[in-house]
Amino acid sequence: MDIDKLKSDASGQIGAAKDLDELNQAAVKWLGRKGALSEFMRRIPELEPDLRREAGQKLNALKKELEALLEEARERISGSAQARDEGLDISLPGRPVAAGSIHPINQVMEEICDIFVQMGFDVVEGPEVELDWYNFEALNFPPDHPARDMQDTFFISGDVVLRTHTSSLQIRTMENTPPPVKVIAPGKVYRCDSDVTHTPMFHQVEGLLVGDGISFADLKGALTLFVQKMYGPNTPIRLRPSFFPFTEPSAEVDIGCVICRGSGCRVCSGTGWLEVLGSGMVHPNVFKNVGYDSSLITGFAFGLGVERIAMLKYGVDDLRRFFENDLRFLSQF
Amino acid sequence: MIVSINWLRQFVEINLAPRELAHRLTMAGLEVEGVSDRYAWLDSVKAARVLSVAPHPAGENLTICTLDMGSGQPCTVVCGAPNVRQGMLSALALPGTVLPGGRTVAQSAIRGVESFGMLCSAAELGTGPDKSGIVELEKGAPGEKIAHLLNLADTVFEIGVTPNRPDCLSFLGVAREAAAVCGTRLVRPQIILPKGEGTIEEITSVAIEAPEHCPRYVARVIRNITVGPSPFWLQDHLLSVGLRPINNIVDVTNFVMMETGQPLHAFDFDLLEEGRIVVRTAQEGEKFTTLDGKEKILSSSNLMICDGKKPVALAGVMGGENSEINPNTKTVLIESACFSPMSIRKTAKSLGYHTDASHRFERGVDPTGCSAAAARAAQLMLEVAGGVLVEGEIDANPVPWEPKEVCLSVKRANAVLGTDLSCGQMQGLLASVELETKTLDSDTLSVTPPGFRVDISIPEDLVEEIARLFGYDNIPVTAPKLPMEVPPPRPAMSFRKKLRNIMVNLGFFEAVNYSFVAADTPARLGLSEDDPRQATLAVANPLSEDQAVMRTSLLPGLLAATGRNVNLQNRSVRLFELGKVFFARANEPLPSEQFMLAAILSGERNPLSWHEKAAPCDFYDIKGAAQALFEALKIKAVDFVRPAPGQADTLLPGHCAAMICQNKLLGILGQIRPEVCTNFDLKQRAFLLEMDVEALRAVTPDTVAFSPPPRYPFVLRDITLVLDKAVPSAEILEKVRQMKHPWVESVWVFDVYEGKPIEKGKKSLSFRITYRADDKTLTDGEVNTLHDNIGKTLLNAFDATLP
Ligand SMILES: [Zn+2]
Repeated sequence: MDIDKLKSDASGQIGAAKDLDELNQAAVKWLGRKGALSEFMRRIPELEPDLRREAGQKLNALKKELEALLEEARERISGSAQARDEGLDISLPGRPVAAGSIHPINQVMEEICDIFVQMGFDVVEGPEVELDWYNFEALNFPPDHPARDMQDTFFISGDVVLRTHTSSLQIRTMENTPPPVKVIAPGKVYRCDSDVTHTPMFHQVEGLLVGDGISFADLKGALTLFVQKMYGPNTPIRLRPSFFPFTEPSAEVDIGCVICRGSGCRVCSGTGWLEVLGSGMVHPNVFKNVGYDSSLITGFAFGLGVERIAMLKYGVDDLRRFFENDLRFLSQF
Repeated sequence: MIVSINWLRQFVEINLAPRELAHRLTMAGLEVEGVSDRYAWLDSVKAARVLSVAPHPAGENLTICTLDMGSGQPCTVVCGAPNVRQGMLSALALPGTVLPGGRTVAQSAIRGVESFGMLCSAAELGTGPDKSGIVELEKGAPGEKIAHLLNLADTVFEIGVTPNRPDCLSFLGVAREAAAVCGTRLVRPQIILPKGEGTIEEITSVAIEAPEHCPRYVARVIRNITVGPSPFWLQDHLLSVGLRPINNIVDVTNFVMMETGQPLHAFDFDLLEEGRIVVRTAQEGEKFTTLDGKEKILSSSNLMICDGKKPVALAGVMGGENSEINPNTKTVLIESACFSPMSIRKTAKSLGYHTDASHRFERGVDPTGCSAAAARAAQLMLEVAGGVLVEGEIDANPVPWEPKEVCLSVKRANAVLGTDLSCGQMQGLLASVELETKTLDSDTLSVTPPGFRVDISIPEDLVEEIARLFGYDNIPVTAPKLPMEVPPPRPAMSFRKKLRNIMVNLGFFEAVNYSFVAADTPARLGLSEDDPRQATLAVANPLSEDQAVMRTSLLPGLLAATGRNVNLQNRSVRLFELGKVFFARANEPLPSEQFMLAAILSGERNPLSWHEKAAPCDFYDIKGAAQALFEALKIKAVDFVRPAPGQADTLLPGHCAAMICQNKLLGILGQIRPEVCTNFDLKQRAFLLEMDVEALRAVTPDTVAFSPPPRYPFVLRDITLVLDKAVPSAEILEKVRQMKHPWVESVWVFDVYEGKPIEKGKKSLSFRITYRADDKTLTDGEVNTLHDNIGKTLLNAFDATLP
């Protein structure tokens, strides 16, 4: 009973096996129930009593050794003989886990609000169906003033309108809060206009900062900070004189075109600039209408169109897509 | 406002290239929205030498000309001009040229002879009045551009003038701004009138009966004019800014309006009864025909220009047919007036007019400019229509304009702008647009705005002037200095944000629909007449019938969106919307606005895949979504019950539920009635979840109290009961809970079966009960005893049997 020979023969054949068939043959021959190792085990009682114990231990150790070799060889062979024969088809799709998405307009609105909240602005809301006073008159749009033509208005009745901007929240907020005031007002607004660049409903974020010593330079500072957080630290901004009844001086705010970075493209009509918001210093008549003393405080206000920003951000070509709710559109965001 | 740079140059020296001027004007507040080449059409008009002229076989004075157009390849054109001759250098419009009259030059056969373009007259090219023959060029070579040879170059700006700056609705106003950005000076046209005959007071008078609407009315009269076409220069000026020449008298009024911003009107004086002007409001119901031929019924708010008997013009808006300038007009009365902006706006709006005149009057014209504009018009009429001036003017001015001083604190202006400008710098900036200043003390400037600046009345108006003229770009950038306060919590907003995120995690896509819907929407939803959602708020001026009322439910938008998606082959739809609905309220001007959450499920729960068959979604999918939502919000103990009558009219009876928590209705869910789906063009089954956001928030716990996980293991036991089909499973669960045994941790249904071998009318329900004690490990014996007891109780309570 030559255990050493058994060991060398068996390990040699296992190590030499080239495929699973040969390996299985070797396994049966040496480790099978009728294999050589079992045969040796059976023959232990034939040995001298004092040798039996040692032989048993040796054979058990050899069995473990050969099993390890066998496993090693199996891994070697299956590895080289292409795992896909034995493993899973990992290219099959996984079982789907349902996942929807927030509407792109609300995603962008949230992003805008988050930036201003980080800057210490409070978020306020108000009615979408609004009194003429809050939407127009208190904001220094006198009745029968041509400035009202700047906003095509949906009317419910003579003095109730669908708000044309969230600037109405300026009045509602200041009416109820003494200065300082630092708020943004996100929400839906309505204008009586519909084409490729206008939908009758869209979204705005209005901002208002009122306090002691707030200046036009501060307005530039706040908007620069916002634009750089929204569009990256190197995005330039440019303020142009404009007219809004509730601010003076008023400014349209352009940002360096985020598409061409200023060299001129179709989106910016070759100007290198994109108009993204309107702003200005709060008009003294607005302060008067909410009972603030305009000799003591100043403030600035700004308003931005969320759709415009979302279109630029995602490269959406037609505003109306935002309201069609086509899943092939929504699922992209 | 369209501005020709050539015209502008008559009043100001422009030392900037057009693009640069456009940029500077924009940065000063006059937004140049478009810059174009006035003579763009001349780009394809080239000089061409006539090499030969031969008669056209068809006769009719046509000739066939061979031309050298500088390309080395002679071409042939057919020409009908009498002055065409060999050797002349003329103007050839190449095919594709769009001439000012609107005609496109084509390459076509004329009477059987191919003509490559068209030899043009100056009138055809819009470069001069001559239409008698083709252009004859004195210098140049074939192929050269005609615009270059004729020295024709002009740039046209389209300026978006903001409503506060009516002064810039005129060349003089824009020139003033251009002078400021160019650093040059505005030069006004010289007005020199000949000594007239007679005196105007002898032949006419002006009576203003409504001085609150008409503070000033200036009139002049010219006799013996000859009405006819305007000279080329006048027509050309009007055409350059997009105005259509009419006749010399009307053209002068338009020209002066463009030059000065003062709208003028010219009456045929001989058609004015009693030869006088009366300014009064209309009589209610009075009829009047404006010169565009439209008859209007007037109201007492309309200001009218009348003669001694009848209205002859809609003041500040449009003249009347009954007194307009016509070929036989001999005597003209020029009106140069000042009207109240509000009055003109009301009249124009209510009668549906928007004219160049009303546009300017609504915004405010210079009350000091009436007389000069009338004189300027008289000067030009005499020049282009001949005639004899009647000496003098009538200047009825019942409400004289009073200049108002505006004082500005230099310190305050700097504080508002964040600048550090000196008093002198501010004075210089204001002076550049003709705002003269006086220094009252070291900090105070006084400005008396001239009449043309109707927008300046308070110090902030001057701050704005200083800012825009200094340049917004030059104002520093600073961080606002305000104490940083932590904004108060906004729980309602945070809650809505949370709901959105939960819905997204449940696999729904957020939709945003318009807040307005068609008026018949409640009916199409199957709502009864007395349903509160019938109380819609109507939009008075909707864009279309399907946006006529404010929505009272989110469902119509979602249903329509689902229908659209299915039609687009997106057959499995999971959409939700969180938004407001609006309910009209009696005795309240504003409606109540309420946030709702709605979700819709339609199509397949899961698509066909390698591991699963496709399956349509059903009631339990939408219920599952609702339950997952409650679980995410930690809302416990929501009862799903049969809706009360009227609660769920939109849903299919028997396939819907109301969700109740703490005795409050949170919302409804279930299958939408098929006919409702059809009403919204949705052709497949759909399931709805609709909740009141604030009701949901009211039952959502603010915080969660931690309880430690159990220490001892649980034991599971199942029981199957065969019982009447109508018994809801929830009753059995409730019965188990009611026993309140401390060892019963939970119980749930894991199998429902009807059919063989179960008797008809019965069903088999299998439950699994989790047993656990909180103070020890339960033994099999303890659990078996309890489980047997529960089984017996249920068998008795529900008249059930074991299978
Ligand atoms: Zn660009």
